[in-house]
Amino acid sequence: MGISKAALAGTLESSDIQITLSPAANGIQIELTSAVASQFGEQIKKVITQTLQSLGIDNVAVKAVDKGALDCVIKARTIAAGQRALGQKEPAWEVL
Amino acid sequence: MAEIRDLMIKVPSIRHQWLTFLAGHGLQDFPPAEVAGVDHVVGLYENDRLVGTGATAGNILKFIAVDASTPPGAYFNQIVSELQSRLAAAGQLHVMVSTKPQYEKSFHYVGFQTLVHTHWGVLMEAGTPTITQYLQGLSGATGTIGEHRSAIVMNANPFTKGHRYLVEQAAMQSDAVDIFVVSTDRSLFTTAERLHLVQTNTADLANVHVYLGGDYMVSYATFPAYFLASNDTIINYQTTIDARLFRDWVAKILHIQTRYVGEEPLSHTTAIYNQVLQKELPPQVQVKVIPRLKVGRTIVTATQVRSAIAQNKLSEIRSLLPAKTWKFIQIHQTELETRIKKGMTIRGN
Repeated sequence: MGISKAALAGTLESSDIQITLSPAANGIQIELTSAVASQFGEQIKKVITQTLQSLGIDNVAVKAVDKGALDCVIKARTIAAGQRALGQKEPAWEVL
Repeated sequence: MAEIRDLMIKVPSIRHQWLTFLAGHGLQDFPPAEVAGVDHVVGLYENDRLVGTGATAGNILKFIAVDASTPPGAYFNQIVSELQSRLAAAGQLHVMVSTKPQYEKSFHYVGFQTLVHTHWGVLMEAGTPTITQYLQGLSGATGTIGEHRSAIVMNANPFTKGHRYLVEQAAMQSDAVDIFVVSTDRSLFTTAERLHLVQTNTADLANVHVYLGGDYMVSYATFPAYFLASNDTIINYQTTIDARLFRDWVAKILHIQTRYVGEEPLSHTTAIYNQVLQKELPPQVQVKVIPRLKVGRTIVTATQVRSAIAQNKLSEIRSLLPAKTWKFIQIHQTELETRIKKGMTIRGN
């Protein structure tokens, strides 16, 4: 499914990642800004994609500004942004 | 780690501390109206010492200044991130900043994209919708090959026979015309009212499309001097940014070949704007300056209409207005007068 409204989660501080989601029609498209994109870009995109899919989101435009976040942080921020975009208030336990 | 606090700059001692900090980072001598237009100001504190600040005005980041930090950029990122999160919490995910060229890189590192670059300043945006998403989302604005497409940007405060004349000229000489109505809501007639009057007064012209100009055409982000009294250097700089944004993004993506403008004998700011458009847009986009419509001996201007409303002399302007604008003003006369009495300016634009 897609999302109905745009949402943001995370910060630009060291070891964090800022995820912005906006409605789109053609699959999951990720635009990544990261100082370590050449080493870890594919891994970061993979974590974001899998997390979104586990929330049932498969049509969305993603902007990710990475400041050296670990996978667990990337996952947590993606879940927060995804749930905000879907208007869900209860934590999605099965995704964690 | 440094801690974010709200700065209540209405409190004189805090305001003084804030202005001193900004001056220490080369930010000074800005018009008081610019400070008054700010919504939120935050300060970053390290052990009770102010080490950074930033503010928002609408969705625009302003007055960003930080001390050097270890690691470099940490204070800057924390301020920008805080302001973005606050705007996002209020539902605003599209953020813009107009900054000096030496800070362009810092904003790039936190995901900002450059829209216009000049020697004196840079206009950047982050978040969503982006300028490309905004332009591609305008229905009916996609041209076909070989088509002659034109554009007009207008505030239409309110829509007069003069605006109608300008639109008709463009519509006759083009296959399609895109009208962009200024989105910034700082005029006597609200954005919704201005848009409505442009739409109803051009509905009979099949090849004319009407849109809001968003954050990109004569907006508070690209051209604040249109709304705040400013000196010529500032007007020149801002109109150049606005013109290049139109040339490099709007006209390019929507395939607009000609921009129509009304000749400007009266407003100083708009006269400079027209000159800058003629200097910056060609050869990519032609500029056609259409002489002002006259009714009898009077040049039709919206300024006149607003001052007649303020002086309760509606009969004087009836001949300058299309039927729909005239009817609207008659119905809303009291409301418009109240807005003027409450301090809404009728001069300027």
